[in-house]
Amino acid sequence: MSMENELQILWAAVVAYVLAGVTAVIGVILGKRPERTVLALSVAGLALHASSIGLRWERLGHGPFITMFEILSSNVLSLMLAYTLAYWRIPRIRASAAIVLPLMFVMLGWLMVAHPGEGHYPPTYNTPWLYIHIGLGKVFLGAVLVAVGVSCVILLRRAGIGLRRLTQLPGDRQLDELAFRCMAIGLVFHSLMLIAGAIWAQDAWGRYWDWDPLETWAFVTWLTVAFTLHARVAFRVSPAAHATMILAVFVIAFLTFFGVPFVSMTPHQGAV
Amino acid sequence: MNHDEVAPAGEGAGARMAADRSERGLLRRLASLRLTLGLLALLAVGILIAQRFEEARTWPIVVPLALLAANLLAAVATNGVFRRQTALLVFHLSLVALVLLVAAGRLTYLKGHVGITNGAGFDGELAIDERGPWHVGNLDAVRFTNDGFSVGYAPGWQRGATRNTVLWRDGDGRWQQSVIGDQEPLVLAGYRFYTTFNKGFAPTFGWQRDGATTVHGSVQLPSYPLNEFSQAAEWTPPGSRVAVWVMLDIDEVVIDPHAHSAFRLPQAYKLVVRVGDERHEMRPGDALRLPDGTLTFDGLRGWMGYRVFYDWTLPWLLAAGAVAVVSLGTHFWQKFAASPWNR
Repeated sequence: MSMENELQILWAAVVAYVLAGVTAVIGVILGKRPERTVLALSVAGLALHASSIGLRWERLGHGPFITMFEILSSNVLSLMLAYTLAYWRIPRIRASAAIVLPLMFVMLGWLMVAHPGEGHYPPTYNTPWLYIHIGLGKVFLGAVLVAVGVSCVILLRRAGIGLRRLTQLPGDRQLDELAFRCMAIGLVFHSLMLIAGAIWAQDAWGRYWDWDPLETWAFVTWLTVAFTLHARVAFRVSPAAHATMILAVFVIAFLTFFGVPFVSMTPHQGAV
Repeated sequence: MNHDEVAPAGEGAGARMAADRSERGLLRRLASLRLTLGLLALLAVGILIAQRFEEARTWPIVVPLALLAANLLAAVATNGVFRRQTALLVFHLSLVALVLLVAAGRLTYLKGHVGITNGAGFDGELAIDERGPWHVGNLDAVRFTNDGFSVGYAPGWQRGATRNTVLWRDGDGRWQQSVIGDQEPLVLAGYRFYTTFNKGFAPTFGWQRDGATTVHGSVQLPSYPLNEFSQAAEWTPPGSRVAVWVMLDIDEVVIDPHAHSAFRLPQAYKLVVRVGDERHEMRPGDALRLPDGTLTFDGLRGWMGYRVFYDWTLPWLLAAGAVAVVSLGTHFWQKFAASPWNR
């Protein structure tokens, strides 16, 4: 199959994601609960998207982690998968889709303007540890995305926005606890990602850690997650303050995984 | 007269209790979770400083880490709740173990580079090396031979897999053969030898100094194809006073940038040799008379650049990291299983 077919399937996936997001937003605005439609559209988008990535993988012989297009595409898939799983398994937070899915539109827009051409697959990438490293990083980002979704609900309520329309969601204290748990899961998977990355780096470049920009910022991200978890315990911070810290962690993680690899000249070019 | 010597027993006990209280107060302040937050922020700043200024890579990281370790140990000593949460305690102690192992590794590590011509052996000497102050490895005793390598290229000079055959002696003195490459180092006496992108051509010579026996050696030209247009080097034969400049003039496309290809020795080439103002072109078997001996061009070979790394802490780091993550996961699992998030 040609790249054109892959892109057509990807476009179909994007349309399904956008329809899911728009339906979620309209549902909250109108006070309706089109949850099955949102879930069905998200699952359809995921299936199409996975097919597109699978075809590209088959054609190029390597996973989607070389070019910006591939990295964005695989991350949209993993983040959508993480959120769809949360949406499916935790019905009480489904209204947060009206916030999370539009957040995904930013990445979808970026994906649509990224060049879909293929890049060079370095021999140092040809190891299972890279796949493990990247997969663990995707779980981390997915967990943080769910935390961001519920944090946004807390902050919107605090700002007096959508008070009536977001009433179907649990209270701030409960959402805060859920966000905390997502961040805790994120810390575990981020730690695993660092360990798997160190194993890969030792084999690929003969050193497990070298403070290259991506390693440095990945460690700073780990520290910000640890800081957020400790701060919640040490200061018994309000849900709004905790939510703000979670958004800050997401911004740092996003810049680390999507910004640093493309301004750094070190061999550590791969992103989560 | 010392007033302490005549102080009543009750006053002495009171003073000791006050001192104990003061020590405990200090320990509690050191164990503060708020201090942990400050130190985590300090560590983040230290890391960014270390990343920005390579020459200041140690203290901005070591000081916050040492303070964090002290903060943690004080918390363990003073906080019974912390001690009772075994998994959380193990996680934090694993982090201390990781820090100590990294410190031990930095004191005893070695990293370096060496280029070895095909058919030649590693003699224990590195071209470039950097080592910790307490490095006590046995690199001088490490021996292996580079028995040739292959490197594939995709169109556009995109480097593919590297396969390097090496010969080495095992503990019983028997020769063993291994193929190392992109993910597979050769590990001898704790030293890990990794192939690198650095490789190229090496003209080999026989050098017979007047009145001495012939010795053979090679001159490793700059990495190819990275330095395709500067395949030259200056070198002085052993025991000679005459510097020899050699240049490889290749008359063919060695690695086709438009097709799948592989690193190979050129067939159509000449070796340009300059000695002072004299210029000579040599082909394999040609000899050149120098003021203090005879130089014979034996032929062209390849050379491979190796990155060398030694750190005995690697398996222990992995173990400590695994314990840390398992214990952290266990802690959260126990904590979250105890009560639902939406109660």
